[in-house]
Amino acid sequence: MSVWVFYISTLVIYFGVDLLAGIALNLQFGYAGVVNFGFIVFQAAGAYMAAVVVLGPSGGVASFQQYIFGSRLPFPLDLVAAAVAGAVVSLVIGLFSLRRMRRDYQAAVLLIVSLIALQVVSADVPLFNGSNGLTGVTWPLGQIVGVTATGAPVIYAAWTLAIAAIVFAAVYWLSKSPWGRSLRAMRDHEDAASAMGLNITSLRLQVFVIGGAIAGLSGGLLVEYIGAWSPGAWGYAETFVIFTAIFVGGVGNYRGVIVGVLLVPVIFLELPRFLPAVGYPGLIDSLQWVTIGLAWMLCLLFRPRGILPEKRMEVTKPAGVPGPAVVPSEGGA
Amino acid sequence: MAEREEGFGISTASPSTALPVATEVASDGGYTAGPVLVATDVVVSYGGVHAVDRVSISVARGEIVGVIGPNGAGKSSFLGALGGQVKRSGGDISLLGKDISSMLPHQRARLGLARTFQTTSEFAKMTVFENLITSGEGNAGASLKEVVLHPRKTAQRERAMTDRAWEILQRFEMEHTVNLYGRELSGGQRRLVEIMRCLMRDPAVLLLDEPMVGVAPHLTGKLIEDLRAIRRDGLGIVIVEHALEVVRQLCDRVVVMAFGKVIAQGSFEEVVQDASVQAAYLS
Repeated sequence: MSVWVFYISTLVIYFGVDLLAGIALNLQFGYAGVVNFGFIVFQAAGAYMAAVVVLGPSGGVASFQQYIFGSRLPFPLDLVAAAVAGAVVSLVIGLFSLRRMRRDYQAAVLLIVSLIALQVVSADVPLFNGSNGLTGVTWPLGQIVGVTATGAPVIYAAWTLAIAAIVFAAVYWLSKSPWGRSLRAMRDHEDAASAMGLNITSLRLQVFVIGGAIAGLSGGLLVEYIGAWSPGAWGYAETFVIFTAIFVGGVGNYRGVIVGVLLVPVIFLELPRFLPAVGYPGLIDSLQWVTIGLAWMLCLLFRPRGILPEKRMEVTKPAGVPGPAVVPSEGGA
Repeated sequence: MAEREEGFGISTASPSTALPVATEVASDGGYTAGPVLVATDVVVSYGGVHAVDRVSISVARGEIVGVIGPNGAGKSSFLGALGGQVKRSGGDISLLGKDISSMLPHQRARLGLARTFQTTSEFAKMTVFENLITSGEGNAGASLKEVVLHPRKTAQRERAMTDRAWEILQRFEMEHTVNLYGRELSGGQRRLVEIMRCLMRDPAVLLLDEPMVGVAPHLTGKLIEDLRAIRRDGLGIVIVEHALEVVRQLCDRVVVMAFGKVIAQGSFEEVVQDASVQAAYLS
């Protein structure tokens, strides 16, 4: 296998994983207005769960790594477990953080939850092996077909893209349904939406749990490829990478999410990782974060609605309704 | 104080005092019915301050009740308590005979209570059409389960909502705005969209919080006509308004509040001549 095949396949895998994360965050933030600054926690929950249900029973303190829920689940239960973990953690966190309070407070609570979770997982070694994290995670589906994730990255890339495409189609359909429209109403004016009969708390929790499940799934896919997971992989800054992606691409527009994910986490963050080192050690890493910060600021300044803004849903007056005709404008806004 | 002892009761009476039952006929609607909304001794407190202090009101079908008073009188807090947006500290509220005192806003809305807000509350990044169909009584989007498990039923509801939305757009002559975002509308159009959105729910009671704010003078008359037309459908309307000419033209009864209490009530002509109203509000 050539280096280039491995390199491009890996970028595609990261694209698929980050696209799943972008879809989930766009549903939560772009459609429902939930400022989920703790998003990365749900991806981490899925990654840890997928790891422990693949690694087998923990060897305890005598082993080089210890963890809870150790088992060896067959495909596809590993990914189901990852999605369920993301959903359950979302439900628990959502039940106390999504009560009727202002959005900025909710965002602060979720950011704090993210910081607390990182500290707890790092400090509590029996949970998920502390700051050393978990290694040796394999790919259950690959074992069935006789390949490993890193040994056959093209297959894994196709697998990741297939899952991302299915989730994309499902979430797109949901977002365009009357339920998605209710989410946008809640985003635009909570009190008015509530006064129009929408149960805001329930809608917010639904979108939080669905987004959490997708985030968990993305974590599961990632850990089965890279084979390891530790607190170093899910700092709170990772949440802002996904936020930047949907800001740059276009909040509330799924095509924008694809563009944003391609630009921010893949081209800005992952692509330079495989390039030859330039300058002193750590320069590229620092420049990556500078670029992300700049992208966010430039976008807010010059293109606040993103490269592909949310599309206007225009209607045409149906035949039979009296009065002058109403036709959509050219292309909408 | 120009307080009426019979008919639609609005009073600051003690909790033990029975509220009179509405039995009158709306002046231009010809509608006869009992009360649709009854609030008894409603109290709203912020810290130790009673913003609304034992205010009672009863609204009949087809009746328009105006609530006026100086800034800080507690009018909007009272409306918020009726709609469920503001937590009440005491008192009872019933809608169509059902106690809604402890219900959340969306539960009250589903029972037939619709409202507008002091600052316009259009869904800014949704078109006028989307504003309407999202607010409809049969909006399937209120339930994820319904959308996922019953797509055919959802499509039927969408068609019904669409028909209703076009009907209301025609009635208010707002078809030309159908594809505009809420944020692209003028102040008056936003007010109209809010009211149209409420009508999508076929409510029993409509609460309007300063509906004429931001409305151009030439549109005020049209809005008054529209509200009169709505009342003929049998809705009870409670309107908080500072524009006294609007109140005079529109309201069957007027309640005057000051310092959280009702200081006068009666016809417009009666309350404006009341000495306490003159002192607290009109002087």
